[in-house]
Amino acid sequence: MTPLADIAAAVRDCVVAAWVDTRTGEVCERVVADARHDPAFIATALDVATEVMRSRERPPRMVLLSPHHVHIVQRLARDPHRVLVVVCARSANLGLAVALVRSFTDAGAEAA
Amino acid sequence: MRAAVQVMHVLERVPSAASGALVRARPDGSLAGALLVERGRVCWAMSQRSRRLTDILVAEQDSLSRAELAAVVAMCTRDRRPFGETLIERGLISLPVLHRALLRHTCEALDCLVRDDAESWAWRAHSGYGYHPMLTFSPAELLAGVRALAHPMLAAQARDRLREVVRPGQLGFAMERAAGARLPLAQIGCECVDLAALGDLAAQAADMMAVASVAGVAVALAELDAGGACASWNEGNVSFVVLCDGDLAFNRLLAQMAMVSAVATSA
Repeated sequence: MTPLADIAAAVRDCVVAAWVDTRTGEVCERVVADARHDPAFIATALDVATEVMRSRERPPRMVLLSPHHVHIVQRLARDPHRVLVVVCARSANLGLAVALVRSFTDAGAEAA
Repeated sequence: MRAAVQVMHVLERVPSAASGALVRARPDGSLAGALLVERGRVCWAMSQRSRRLTDILVAEQDSLSRAELAAVVAMCTRDRRPFGETLIERGLISLPVLHRALLRHTCEALDCLVRDDAESWAWRAHSGYGYHPMLTFSPAELLAGVRALAHPMLAAQARDRLREVVRPGQLGFAMERAAGARLPLAQIGCECVDLAALGDLAAQAADMMAVASVAGVAVALAELDAGGACASWNEGNVSFVVLCDGDLAFNRLLAQMAMVSAVATSA
């Protein structure tokens, strides 16, 4: 299992986990955990996360809440252009999902 | 909106933490009005064209009679006593009512002053202090107050919503979503935040929500550099921003916003 697949498995009701490059908008790596979701929804979610974090003046961590989903977006400390995006269903424990993504980027992701 | 922008420009003329008066005269040399400032906070504004404080006090509190107020005014003038503090001392009004009436009076006077056909403002410094700090006003309070004069219903709704959401120790403000309207319409706890910082927060929140709404996002939360957290969302024609500080600020705000997002709009 790749580290990204680990975080996708750890976050309950995860839809997608991805590394994106905010300079180019490139999705460097992606794990779709719930294939029932519309690919267009996933593509839009990753685009929005990239756009929101494009400016380096933006905060290192953001959570976006929609009626049915949570978008957790976190910048990598050693490379601020590299951003981890995790989208999960609103049914998940929000605080736990955010904590998991944070610990993943703080520790394991450094090796990714 | 134009009056609020002009009031903002007037407030920006006050030197930081200074005490004195901004005075506005008419072309014939008569006084149009003035704005009194102590340690950077506005304590009083007067305009020849605005309502008197006693009229506002009577409107704010039914139990106050004009005769009672006239007697207190006469006594305060004779004995050189502060009017507001004397009203409280005599049990005629409460501090929140006096604060609200003074803020309303100052905002109405400012609104009249910026519309007055008068000449530019002149700053006159002084070093005398006399106003109780609780009865002085920050730029954010004044701007929200002036905006509320033009949009009383919208401002009242925004203030009620902020009271529901903003918890002790947090601060929040609301703005209209119309173009060029990024001035506070209502605020809670923003007394110590300068206007430039409020403007930056408002601009960042508007930008974030504009991008995030593409994915149906209703609430955006961000971790701030100093360990604090900021949440922004839209409800109808109004944008809201709430700031939280201290331990676990982000997690606390996240739990709060999970409930807010049920009524927030992504469009």
